[in-house]
Amino acid sequence: MRLEKCWFCSSTVYPGHGIQFVRNDAKIFHFCRSKCHKNFKMKRNPRKVKWTKAYRRLHGKDMTQDSTFEFERKRNRPERYDRNLAENTLKAIKKIDKIRSDRASGHIKNRLKTGKVQRQKEARKQLELGIHLVKAPLALAQDSSLCLPKIKVNVSQTQTEENQPMEE
Amino acid sequence: MVQYNFKKITVVPNGKDFIDIILSRTQRQTPTVVHKGYAISRLRQFYMRKVKYTQQNFHEKLSTIIDEFPRLDDIHPFYGDLLHVLYNKDHYKLALGQINTARNLISKVAKDYVKLLKYGDSLYRCKSLKVAALGRMCTVIKRIGPTLAYLEQIRQHMARLPSIDPNTRTMLICGYPNVGKSSFMNKITRADVDVQPYAFTTKSLFVGHTDYKYLRYQVIDTPGILDRPFEDRNIIEMCSITALAHLRAAVLFFLDISGSCGYSIAQQAALFHSIKSLFMNKPLIIVCNKTDLQPLDGIFEEDRKLVMEMKAEAMKTVIGQGGEPTNEEGVLLTMSTLTEDGVIAVKNAACERLLNQRVELKMKSKKINDCLNRFHVALPKPRDQKERPACIPQAVLEAKAKQAAEKEKRKTEKELEDEYGGAGVYSASLRKNYILANDEWKEDTMPEILDGHNVYDFIDPDILLRLEELEREEGLRQAEEEGDDFEMDGQELSLEEQEALAEIRKKKSLLIQQHRMKKSTAESRPVVPRKFDTDRKFTTGRMGRQLSSLGLDPSLAINRARSKSRGRKRERSVDKREGDGGDAMDIDDNQASKKLRLRSTSRSRSQSRPPGEVIPGEGLKDSAQKIKAIKLAKKSVLKRNKNARRGEADRVIPTLKPKHLFSGKRSIGKTQRR
Repeated sequence: MRLEKCWFCSSTVYPGHGIQFVRNDAKIFHFCRSKCHKNFKMKRNPRKVKWTKAYRRLHGKDMTQDSTFEFERKRNRPERYDRNLAENTLKAIKKIDKIRSDRASGHIKNRLKTGKVQRQKEARKQLELGIHLVKAPLALAQDSSLCLPKIKVNVSQTQTEENQPMEE
Repeated sequence: MVQYNFKKITVVPNGKDFIDIILSRTQRQTPTVVHKGYAISRLRQFYMRKVKYTQQNFHEKLSTIIDEFPRLDDIHPFYGDLLHVLYNKDHYKLALGQINTARNLISKVAKDYVKLLKYGDSLYRCKSLKVAALGRMCTVIKRIGPTLAYLEQIRQHMARLPSIDPNTRTMLICGYPNVGKSSFMNKITRADVDVQPYAFTTKSLFVGHTDYKYLRYQVIDTPGILDRPFEDRNIIEMCSITALAHLRAAVLFFLDISGSCGYSIAQQAALFHSIKSLFMNKPLIIVCNKTDLQPLDGIFEEDRKLVMEMKAEAMKTVIGQGGEPTNEEGVLLTMSTLTEDGVIAVKNAACERLLNQRVELKMKSKKINDCLNRFHVALPKPRDQKERPACIPQAVLEAKAKQAAEKEKRKTEKELEDEYGGAGVYSASLRKNYILANDEWKEDTMPEILDGHNVYDFIDPDILLRLEELEREEGLRQAEEEGDDFEMDGQELSLEEQEALAEIRKKKSLLIQQHRMKKSTAESRPVVPRKFDTDRKFTTGRMGRQLSSLGLDPSLAINRARSKSRGRKRERSVDKREGDGGDAMDIDDNQASKKLRLRSTSRSRSQSRPPGEVIPGEGLKDSAQKIKAIKLAKKSVLKRNKNARRGEADRVIPTLKPKHLFSGKRSIGKTQRR
């Protein structure tokens, strides 16, 4: 029993799911669901379809080269069973997985950093240019920080007299 | 030498069909168009051709029938007799004779009419002659209709006869009905003959094939024979008698020891003696069947004697074949088809005897001399007196001995299974013989899938080392990342700035929305002008709030707006409010200002115009022009109004009774209402 990778979107195909297509030249295509299968039948190139892993890797959206990928390699020669080795392997898989996902999210964060910087610059510019919509020039002259003006409330003297008994 | 392939005889058509076939063929294959005006020779030729063509076809078809049906004298006597038994030789010959006569009659008819046609003098006469000729030929065929049907039936039956080769090695099974001949047949060959408890289950001959010493033997199963005088036998029994008589085969006479076939041993022995003349020159074996019900040793004395007599007869045949030493075992055999006990032995004995007999015969015949020079067994010429036996190394002998011992000692998995309760109960442990570093690991189950990965893809002897390296790398990388993160935080906006930005964006989107609304409705929907202010948007309070949110002091602006709209009263109340705040005065003032505030909604009154004023606009340049335009308009309407006549703006029905509504029929609907 093996988990295969969908040929179109590169997600894992669990047993009992999907379809396998064998072409006349004996090449086997695995599909995870009918969406990928139908796309394949339409002869779409996965490298051009935005939501597939192939596109993302090709256009640098996801991490492509990393040492964690070398741990997972299809081995055709079966090894003799060794309990210790099996235990170690199972523990290692978990750790490797964690490291790989950390690195992948780091890659994405890095990629989005430039966008963040740009957005912050834009925001600042917008603030500077548009401050006149929320703050009158007079108020701006008095208080030159780029934030909302403090609203002045006229307090009538009657109120102060009423308060006096309280203060005492 | 005719091939015994009766399946290849062409179908004999029905009388009617025969006529139809030939006539339609004549119509298709000869020219069909002829006119009165043709030359007489042409007309004659036309019809003569038709008559001749028809006759030729009849002749051809009837000849094929006659040729293809086998002549009973020309084929092997076995088949001849068999066909005689089944179909009666005389009837068969008569039928074929009739066909022959018909053929000749048709030829005669055609000849005569062709002769007449030579002297036909008109189209009509030639035509009638042709019609008569064809008619007579068809009548001939109609008369032999039943014969054709009979021949068709024979053909069908012949096609289903078993293909028995009379010259090859054959074994014949005979005996009383229900003794077990067909069961024996099923056991040694691949034939699937019906086996049923009633007598005469087998109604015709059946052929099967079996192998012995790399040679193919035919085995023929016959229907059972009863002990009757020859003349009283029916067709089914005659089939087996024919086979016995003509085929040169080994005969296996079946005897039912237990008597469960319904006939005693005495009766069976009587049958044996009555047909023993047919066993001349044939290797005979007496087979005692159904020994599971009654072993041979357990039968009564009289029966035993009868059996021994039969055996003696059988021995005679053995002796008769060239003085062989009497081989007692090969003559009387016991078996049981139910338990399959002794079946193979019987078959082997029969095949052996037959083979020997045939070989001897061949040796004695003249043909052997032709074959003899083809046989030559080569032996090396001895050089000297030294003996040279086969040489087998000692190790091989020992290994062979050991293997034999091992095979006996080892317990097979199948025996284990049986021991522990059979196939459904016990499941063999497939991992028993695994070779592992530690035997405790034999029954371990290892997961194949973990967290969406195949575990087998990760197995590596030095995975621990690599994992350590990886973790070190990861530690370094994380340290670097934290350093990077610190640099980033400089340029963020503060909280208040973010609030301001949000406000700016909200306002901008509002403006955009309003603009879009205005743009889309500007052409289609009339807008209420601002002075009517139905939504009560343009109040000083609102203006004040907006200004103060912008950070300005609104009081000045509010005052100015109010002063422009109100009279002096308003100013007074404004002063009072700004002045000292005596308690009594305050109350009055509050009431007074309230009244004034209520009245202030009629602000528009102060801005109204005198009734006669005309404002320029609507395409006219000044008031004077507009006044003139108004005057002209009024003048044009004055007279009509005075006469109470319809004007331009009044509704007019041009025709009170349009014709299309008050006349004519409707294509759909009723015309009750007009």
